[in-house]
Amino acid sequence: MALLETDRLWKKFGGVTAVQDIALSIEKGEILGMIGPNGSGKTSFINLLSGIYRPDKGNITFIGEDITGLPAYHITKKGIARTFQNLRVFPNISVLDNLLIGRHCRVNNSLANIYLNPFLSRKREKEAEDRVIELLDWVHLADRRKELAKNLPYGEQRLLEICRALASEPQLVLLDEPCAGMNPVEMDTLAAFLKNLRDRGTTLFIIEHNMRFIMSIAERIVVLDAGTKFREGSPVQIQNDKEVQRIYLGEEEDA
Amino acid sequence: MFIDVLIVGIMVGAIYTLVTIGYSMVYGMLKLMNFAHGDVYIFGTLLCYTLLAQAHLPPLLGILIAALAGGILASMVEFFAYRRLRAAQHRMISMITALGAAYVIQNASELRWGSQVLPFPSLFPSQLVTVLGHQISVTPIITLAIAVFFIVAFNLFLNHHKMGKAILCVSQDIPTSSLMGIPINRIISMVYFLGGMMGVVGGILYSASYNAISLGMGFRGTIVAFTAAVIGGIGSMSGTLIGGMILGISENIISVYVSSSYRDSIMFLVLIVILLIKPTGIMGKVEQDKL
Amino acid sequence: MTLRIKKNRLLLYAGLLACAIVLPFVVRDPYFIGMVNFIIIYSILCLGLNLILGYTGLLSLGHAAFYGIGAYATAILMTKHGFSFLPSLIVSGLLALFFGFLLGLPTRKVRGDYFCLLTIAFGEIFRLVTQAWINFTGGAMGIVGIPIPELAGWKIQTEIDFYFLGLGLLGFTYGTLHLLTESKFGRAFVAIREDELAASVMGINTPMYKILTFSIGSLYAGIAGSYLAVYQTTVTPSNFRLEESCLMIIMVIVGGMGNLAATFLGVSVMAVAIEFFRPVPEYRLLIIGLIMILVLLFRPQGLLGASAFKD
Repeated sequence: MALLETDRLWKKFGGVTAVQDIALSIEKGEILGMIGPNGSGKTSFINLLSGIYRPDKGNITFIGEDITGLPAYHITKKGIARTFQNLRVFPNISVLDNLLIGRHCRVNNSLANIYLNPFLSRKREKEAEDRVIELLDWVHLADRRKELAKNLPYGEQRLLEICRALASEPQLVLLDEPCAGMNPVEMDTLAAFLKNLRDRGTTLFIIEHNMRFIMSIAERIVVLDAGTKFREGSPVQIQNDKEVQRIYLGEEEDA
Repeated sequence: MFIDVLIVGIMVGAIYTLVTIGYSMVYGMLKLMNFAHGDVYIFGTLLCYTLLAQAHLPPLLGILIAALAGGILASMVEFFAYRRLRAAQHRMISMITALGAAYVIQNASELRWGSQVLPFPSLFPSQLVTVLGHQISVTPIITLAIAVFFIVAFNLFLNHHKMGKAILCVSQDIPTSSLMGIPINRIISMVYFLGGMMGVVGGILYSASYNAISLGMGFRGTIVAFTAAVIGGIGSMSGTLIGGMILGISENIISVYVSSSYRDSIMFLVLIVILLIKPTGIMGKVEQDKL
Repeated sequence: MTLRIKKNRLLLYAGLLACAIVLPFVVRDPYFIGMVNFIIIYSILCLGLNLILGYTGLLSLGHAAFYGIGAYATAILMTKHGFSFLPSLIVSGLLALFFGFLLGLPTRKVRGDYFCLLTIAFGEIFRLVTQAWINFTGGAMGIVGIPIPELAGWKIQTEIDFYFLGLGLLGFTYGTLHLLTESKFGRAFVAIREDELAASVMGINTPMYKILTFSIGSLYAGIAGSYLAVYQTTVTPSNFRLEESCLMIIMVIVGGMGNLAATFLGVSVMAVAIEFFRPVPEYRLLIIGLIMILVLLFRPQGLLGASAFKD
């Protein structure tokens, strides 16, 4: 059984069909890549998966459960986390707090707890903090945890955003152009990190423009064009596919 | 009798439109709720009162000076209090600043004119005219005509004059307009200036019709602008017109046939209902969050 | 937190508490105590408002209405229905909480700026209703003759009595809010303020949290209102105008948005400023307005506020 499956997913905005009849499955433990020219609907698709948009038609199933139309926060609780194309860490909050917010839905503290049993509540908070610091240790950011996120260099902020997504212990992480703005060295570090993540059991779905990056880490690739699923295959197959080259090169010819 | 109420309602509607234009443009362009809007143009109206009733200036001159003063005050408020905050991260910061500006102007007006109701002179002699067997007063019709004149003139300015078109551009997209070479700060000042001027004209027409002007009308004026803009839909001229008309006519009808002491409460209730049902107003577009 | 820091913190709190208890006996001037009581009431109000505005980033210009709801509830219950103080206090708080909940409901659908208008409308309608509904609220004259509150035999009449009552209420307010803001709830509020969309993706049920912040923030306003009713022995609509809401906002801003402890500072500074200008009441609004503008232009994070508000 696939970890996540979409079935005939549709999304329209006014007259524009952003996502058209997409049927896709993500297998547990894989790294699935999605590529496609600008405007092909990749970000809309990820927004549908993460609950920011509701699909007009079709459904999304996650671990056998229908999650279509659930609001974003609920989907995160179910075990899907994401990052954003244009980096949305909380810039004016500390690194530690960014992660703690990411862990929000796993911190088991109700209002009743906080008021009536402050010692238990403090213990739970401490537990959350410890788990999150473990994550920070892994990426060598633990000693910077009191710093405001905006003071970190760009590459580390990107890493921070991924860690923030990991803080909720998701089974599936959706990454929207994670290496935008990175230099080749940072990209290689990120690629190694993501592979490590996969090896530890997290499934990854990555939208990326950078061919070198996505070809190096994805096991399977889906190509999107004008909102539809155009091709699906291994990196080698996609790279050699003439049609795929055309939809990318075709863009250049028009320009 | 009903025809009188209707005519007055339409007149008030036109006046409300006039005073709302400035507020609506500013909000549409900068997403700033100019809480000082009403107090600024009431300041101008109070000034007009002094010029006409006490300095005995000829009406046209008094009105002109007052309108200019209102416009200048409006752009000064923008320059000193709002301009620096345009790039602020949290928009509520400039809203609170606007509140502060409102208080400063209110207090200044109070120091000069006190808080009692002053007798604003009529601008037109009252005359009755017989139409279709009914006797109706001419004054509201003249006032209405003047208000409509300004509304139409401004609309023409926006759509056909170079500066008006620049204003429309800036309303749509500031960064692009700036890249096109449009002087953003100057245009924004002009928007405040014109909005303030028209607000004063509207305030004067209103006060002349009811022979009353007082400080309290400032806050009320701001609320009127909010409500009319919300009803009709922010940022569109037709929306402002629709909102102003609906507010003016319904307010007048209710105040005559139901009760005038609940007039303000009704306005707030209308505001609440619209905000809950369709906050973008009748003509407004539902905005999508860009991701 | 290391044990040493914890001990120091505890000592600090104990020290502050001791000072607070001893204060009215050291400084016996009732005028001074009166001013401290003013600071206490506004601190309770502004702590609640700081939760709504400073932590969650929702601009509410109707906070005075909840103040009023609490005040009128206590006034009416004590004068017309013979309730004693404590039950009235509780009802006031719960009633304000309820209305805060109601006002929080539209935050789901109504966007920030428009929501601000809604809060103004709410506040104004409250004021207009209290003025018009003469049978229930006494109209513009309000309700007079609110009896002396009694708590387990302790009659609260002098400034010093009210001081201790106020201190207790303030302690409750600060304590409960501190617990709230230092938890995942506090972080969630801040996340909503900073980036609501990202917050929802973090698993935060943003509509629910916005309703929560309103309900809780308003609860404290209701408590403050109840206190006001017995302190002033009268309540009138003029206590709860938009101006009051604005004053509270500026107190929160001057102290520092997003920082509970800073609220005391903001309230005190503004209280002193107002006292300073008491001989010239005709300039009151002007000064408040100027302070609002200047603080936001040059130091929007206030004295000690969250760095999120720095330019």
